[in-house]
Amino acid sequence: MDLLAHLEAYVATVDETSFSRAADRLGIAQPLLSRRIKTLEAHFGGLLFDRSRRQVATTELGMLLLPYAQDVLDRAQRLEQVARSAQQAQARAVGVPADRAPAALARVIRAGAERGITLGVRELPPQERADRLADGSLAYALLRVPPEHAAYRVSLGLAGPPPLDAERPARAAARAGRGRPVHLEDLRPRRGATGERTVPLPILTLPEDEVPHARDRLGRAVARSGLSERLVRPAGPAATALAETLAGRAMLLCDEPFARRHGADWAPLADASLHRGYDVGGTPRLPGGDVPEWLSAVLAAAAGAESAVRAAGRPESTDATSRLAARG
Amino acid sequence: MTGDTAHRPAQVRGDGPLLDVAEEIARDWAALGVRGSFLARDIDTGAQLGFDTEEPIPLASVVKVPFALVVLDLIADGDLDPALPVTVDPASSSVGPTGIAAFRHPVTMAVGDLLLLMLSVSDNAAADALFDLVPVADVDARLRAWGCAGIQVRHRMNHMYECAAGAAGNDFSLALELAVRDERTGRHTIETLDPAHANLGTATALVGLLQRVWRDEVAQPRATAELRRLMGHQVFTQRLSSELRADSLRLSGKTGTFLHLRHEIGVVEADSGARVAVAALTRADRRAAQAPDIDLAIGIGARQAFEALRG
Repeated sequence: MDLLAHLEAYVATVDETSFSRAADRLGIAQPLLSRRIKTLEAHFGGLLFDRSRRQVATTELGMLLLPYAQDVLDRAQRLEQVARSAQQAQARAVGVPADRAPAALARVIRAGAERGITLGVRELPPQERADRLADGSLAYALLRVPPEHAAYRVSLGLAGPPPLDAERPARAAARAGRGRPVHLEDLRPRRGATGERTVPLPILTLPEDEVPHARDRLGRAVARSGLSERLVRPAGPAATALAETLAGRAMLLCDEPFARRHGADWAPLADASLHRGYDVGGTPRLPGGDVPEWLSAVLAAAAGAESAVRAAGRPESTDATSRLAARG
Repeated sequence: MTGDTAHRPAQVRGDGPLLDVAEEIARDWAALGVRGSFLARDIDTGAQLGFDTEEPIPLASVVKVPFALVVLDLIADGDLDPALPVTVDPASSSVGPTGIAAFRHPVTMAVGDLLLLMLSVSDNAAADALFDLVPVADVDARLRAWGCAGIQVRHRMNHMYECAAGAAGNDFSLALELAVRDERTGRHTIETLDPAHANLGTATALVGLLQRVWRDEVAQPRATAELRRLMGHQVFTQRLSSELRADSLRLSGKTGTFLHLRHEIGVVEADSGARVAVAALTRADRRAAQAPDIDLAIGIGARQAFEALRG
């Protein structure tokens, strides 16, 4: 027996002194209401209502039990309220990439607060965001996906020292001018008239870009551009990597806001397939795991995404056959 | 690949200052992610420097040099007519980017000129047309008879293409990926990269052969003289020659390129009379068809070695 539903029928009938009005108030059919009251009467072992008169009258037993029934219903309602507000007060953890602008993360938190949802942002490396989303310790997360399949894309580029002390021959990015895309082939050492060979600067990658598919793509692109794959190295701590970069001893692979925030010059990589791609995921452990649109948008903005433009595929050479043969 | 420590040669050869040069070349190669063998030897004094010189490495087109010597020796013996016309139909011939292999129409060419195309532009179709006349087993047997230990001829040129295409289905990137990956695991998907099945050579054996060719100490003098002439016609200059191009220097060489392999053997001769034989056999950990810095590193090594050895 659903005691609460039965008590509700009982209390409403006392209030309304009518089975039909009580049924209307509760939004149920009158036969159901009558059945519930009969079940309750059988349970208590006595009649709650006198049905012999034209108007329904409450029996003595009915009057005696009424305050207790009311009390049970009130307490049940409070229990519901407490549970609901506890649910709303609980912070939902959101996994975001490291080194995002604090102001952008604040916008994420505020957007949640405006909708009565407490969000807590957690900076985590990409693989950990995916793992924690799967085990339910994150409610939402920005997930790294190849840019061509991604809902959101963040341009990656190479950071270098600020323009003032940029008189370095090896830095193609600086030579290309601000904002002009860097082609990896441009980083090949130049053989000048003096014959002196320059050594290309290492390309440092942040933990956010040490995702297997992204790392593999970058390595291959570097190789295809006539450079050693060893040029690409994990940056280690971001501060050290930035110091090397600002000192002109390395190029840091990062997004533009990150570079600008630290006073580095920045130029985007021309090959968009090397940029970051993101989807916003919700944990499968949470009921209604769909990510609300407002949250996706504000998270994408925090990641630094501009748009969801699909990256173009690379045309493959058609003369495949003779490339596989022994050559001179 | 990044992450692993740069390869150090297991063995370095050379005396005194020559050892330093060998170590410097090994360091330069390692920095580019290149493993391999290098040996340079003064043909007249025998002074030499190098590293990892005894490792058998799949030869790619470098095998065309010992093969050509065997064919030229048969010609010198009168067992094969250099003017013999051979018809090659590109539709059914071996695959390759140069020479008859790249032709669209059948061609009839003399044996002697097939040799020229095979060595000057590394023509695979010309090479396999010659293998039709002089089978693989005969070539290998003749090299054994000459005491060329360390060089093994086991297959025709097109076998390299067949194995790569068989493993990677005509996908060059995949074949390259397999070659680079297999180099790390030591288990070879592409048979012609497996030392157990490939045409093989060590730097020592190849330099030894060049030294004997230049000193007329192998085969017949008419054969060695013609081999020296043909090797002087090579058109590729991006490797051993890259830092040795001067009117006062001559390089007679033969390159070999297959997936991640970049080789060249040759002899540098100066107007002054110095003669240095060089073998550079490399395997890159890089998934790229073009690696100009590796080609250049081979050339820089050759120049350093030549300048150190010529005295």
